[in-house]
Formats: sequence, C-alpha cells, structure tokens
Amino acid sequence: MNLKNITADKLVALYKNGDLSVTEVIRSVFDEIDRTDKDVHAYITLCKERAFEDARRIDSKIAAGESLEPLSGVPVAIKDNMALRDVPTSCGSKMLEGYTPPYTATAVERLRTAGAIVVGKTNMDEFAMGSSTENSAFFATRNPHNLDCVPGGSSGGSAAAVAAGMAMISLGSDTGGSIRTPAAFCGVAGIKPTYGRVSRYGLVAFASSLDQIGPFAKSVRECAQALEVICGFDHFDSTSADIPVEPLLRDLEHSVKDVRIGIPREYFIPGMDPEVKARLEKCIKVYEDMGCKLEEISLPHTEQAIATYYLIATAEASSNLARYDGVRYGVRKGGDAGLNDMYRKTRMNGFGKEVKRRILLGTYALSAGYYDAYYLKALKVRTLILQDFRKAFERVDMILTPTSPTVAFRIGEKADDPLSMYLSDIFTITCNLAGLPGISIPCGKNSAGLPIGMQLLANHFQEALLLRAAFNFEKAFLVQ
Amino acid sequence: MKITETEVEYVAKLANLEVHEDERAELAEQLSRIVEYVEQLNKVDVSSVEPTTQILDGIKHAVRDDRVAARTGSSDAGKTVKLFKVPKVITER
Repeated sequence: MNLKNITADKLVALYKNGDLSVTEVIRSVFDEIDRTDKDVHAYITLCKERAFEDARRIDSKIAAGESLEPLSGVPVAIKDNMALRDVPTSCGSKMLEGYTPPYTATAVERLRTAGAIVVGKTNMDEFAMGSSTENSAFFATRNPHNLDCVPGGSSGGSAAAVAAGMAMISLGSDTGGSIRTPAAFCGVAGIKPTYGRVSRYGLVAFASSLDQIGPFAKSVRECAQALEVICGFDHFDSTSADIPVEPLLRDLEHSVKDVRIGIPREYFIPGMDPEVKARLEKCIKVYEDMGCKLEEISLPHTEQAIATYYLIATAEASSNLARYDGVRYGVRKGGDAGLNDMYRKTRMNGFGKEVKRRILLGTYALSAGYYDAYYLKALKVRTLILQDFRKAFERVDMILTPTSPTVAFRIGEKADDPLSMYLSDIFTITCNLAGLPGISIPCGKNSAGLPIGMQLLANHFQEALLLRAAFNFEKAFLVQ
Repeated sequence: MKITETEVEYVAKLANLEVHEDERAELAEQLSRIVEYVEQLNKVDVSSVEPTTQILDGIKHAVRDDRVAARTGSSDAGKTVKLFKVPKVITER
C-alpha cells in the first residue's frame, strides 16, 4: 500500500468493502517509515502501539457492520506542537523534555473523532520559529524530493511525512507561512485557515494573534476533508470564531468561471527565481483558460510586512514563552542561588539560538522607551496591511501569488543569516497579519526537479472558494 | 539603531535569559541588523492610524461561563500534579 497512490476517500471505501484491513494499512505505513524516515527525519515520536490499537478497534467495527466515520483508518501525522494526551509534546525544543500533556488539542481530537489514526508527531523548528526545520533541537528534516535541501518550515516534518508517503494527511501550524512554505517546498497542498476558524486549544502558543492550525495532504480534496473535520467553534479557545462553517466538500468541483483573481504587482519582486516566475505566469494562464477574470492589483504595504511581522510575532512570543521557566514544564536547571537563578539557567539551557534571538528581539520591542517606536508602530502598520487587503477584496475574489520566491534551498544555506531566512517569508506573512485564509498547492517543478508552490489568498472565512479554486487548478493542471 | 552588548545584557535580564559572554557580540551584531531592517517602518506615516490587535470585526472573544466543564477526553491536569516545588523565593537579609 503506497499512500501516494490512493486518496483518503478511496481508502475508506476499500475498508468498507472489506478489500483492505486498517491493520494492514497501518502496518505498511510503519514499514514505509522504517524504510524512509532514516533519511528524511520527519518524525520525532512514533505512536505505534496506539495506532495499532486504533486500527484493530476500527477493523472490528467494520467486521460488526458498523458505519464508518469520514476519515476512519486514515493515517495522520501531527506537528509536535499540538497536544496528544499521554504522548510527549516537544515543540522541537529541549525545553519540553519529558513533558507529556494530560489532554488532547481540539483539532487533533476532532481528527480522531472522525476516525483518523495518529501515527506520530512530526519535527519542526523549535517553538515553530523558522522557515526550514533546521532549528529543531533534535535534527533537521530533509526534503523528500532532494535530501540535501530543506523541507521548508516550520511544519517541515508534517509536509515531508505526507510528501514521502509516511502519512496521508498531517496537521501543521502557520504563524507566518509555516504550513504554506513547507507545502510548496515538498510539493503537497497545505492550507492556513482564517484566524479563529480552527481552535488553537492544545496548540503551543508562538504568536497568539497570528497562529492557526491547518492540514497538509497530497490532494486538495483530502485537504478539504481534513479541514472540514477540524474547523468550527470551540469553547476552549477564546479567539475561536463562533460563526457557521461553510461545507467545504459540497461545491468543490463547481466551476470557477467568472471568479475575479488579483495579481499583486508588489509580489513580483526582483530576486525572484526566474523559474518560479515563469511557472506562475503559466498558472495565471490556467485560470484564464477556466474563465476567471484576472487583473493586476496593488498591495502597497507589502514591503513593510516582514518588519511588521517580526516585531509583532517576536513581541507575542517573548510573552508566550515566559511560561517556560522550569516551574511547570520539562527541564529545570540551576536553582542553587534561588528562584531567579533557576529561571535564567533553565531558559539558557532549554532554548536554542533562534528562540533566544526572537525572545530578545521581542523583549526589546516591548521594553520601556521602545514600545511606541517598535511594537505600537508595527500594530499600526498592520492596520494598513489589513486595509490594503480590504480594498483589494472589493475588486477581486482571490489573490494569486507564488508561495515562496524560490524553491527549497540547501540545508545550511541560510542557517547563519537570520535576516535572510526571515526575508524568505515575504509572500506568506501578509496573510497572517491580515488573518486571511491562504492555500499553497503544487504547480510543477523546476529544472532540478524541486517543487514550486502557488499561493491563493481569499477574504476571511472564504475557505470554500479557496479550496474550489485550488481543486479546479489541480484538475486542469493534471490534464496538462 | 545599533544594539550594544550592554543592551543585549540588559534585555536578556528583562527576559530572564542568561547570555554567555562569548555569544553577546554575535547577538548584538545580529539584533542590530534586524533592528536596522525593521526601522524601515519609520518611513510609513501612521499618524492617523489606529493599531490592530484583533483582526476580525464583529468577533468578540468568547468567554464561557465560569463552571467546570467536561469535554471529550478531558484533562487530567490538576489530578496528576497538585503542587510545583520551586527553590527558595524569599531570602534572609
């Protein structure tokens, strides 16, 4: 059983007909992990015992003729910043060593209630801070398309697991592109929903006004299936949106004729990989051929987005990560010279370089004398970025951009230059600052065989439109 | 603006972080570059712009009733760990 050659709905249908047992599929997934993950390093923790237990339970349901859930027996992977009860959650950090959450995140719980089987927890940049999954405290994940390249980040393990057929669907989290960039680099689909659409309960907080959970899958339909299951209001997240969820699968195949698509001129920057640019021009043509109306638009504050993002995200992170002080979670160091000594020694030993750098930057931006000049200023520019999108969505229904200015870069290439790593997020972070939904889907490969991603953005809560447009593209593209 | 090693030390203290002496110079250099980069925001006129803290109009923060509520697979927090032991907080003069 190769997960790359079968979709989730077909798999569930095979189970229903008794053509395949869940146990044998789960066994083949772990065989694939044994073969592949020694090179890719997508997983931090495997949940083998639990997965086989789940599989046996579903198999006996099938034998008893009971009805199945939409994702019954579908093997899924979870980014290691989401809680799954009784399984360690590391966040890619030494800080949480030995921490096992006593509860399960809402999004993970909903996947499990829909029948999905968690096979493991995936690698990530420490506390989701990074764009390459090289910042994990344990090991770097490699891109299944070329093991010398990064898978993107910070949800690199989740993207690589799906791309390598080691899971059918996976969950990631996206604060500034952490789902869409790895999706693009690994050649899979990944969607970041509207802020508040998916509950963040049980997601380790990085930047609370930006974080959002979303799924990866090899196809748009599977992405839609997973999102339909995990989204919706949750009492346990105070920022969860209490507004009805549109059905995501119902109209997936409807035409996108007459949909208006904007191409922001600010996103076609100098320094963009010419192969990515050429590919994007082909994508535009695909939509034109489907009867969409394309027009150039302007998002004038795009240039300020990275600066705005790195002030807001680090400020929020410096506050969120204050809780890791050796008292309640994971490791504890020092303490001979009292409580403050314990705090400082624990944090010095527990956090990696990039996390410390961001905590320092965020603390600096919030500190007396600099708050107005940096943090407050960034919140105001955020308003302007939001207004840019509001204006744009008066004229168009969707916005089409590259997901990343380049394809996957080589491991180590940007590791010593934090600023150049930050700049690689240029096309994905505006979406988080404005709270919009965004999807990255594969749109071909470059001459070296590395995947290129196309990004679509839509107005708040327009996930159904986004998925429909992505589905239609995928269909047209496969025909080509 | 250049961030000095003294400032790195000061901010580290605010953040309850200890920064090794040999890391200080590199951090000061990296943070200076990042701060210089973010200072491009000074070019933007925000004199009549309100800050954004909540993105979605009309979505109010959901606050539930202050009752103990069970949920599927509910948490064992508080059952397993009742107390956290920490080093001495108050020292004699």
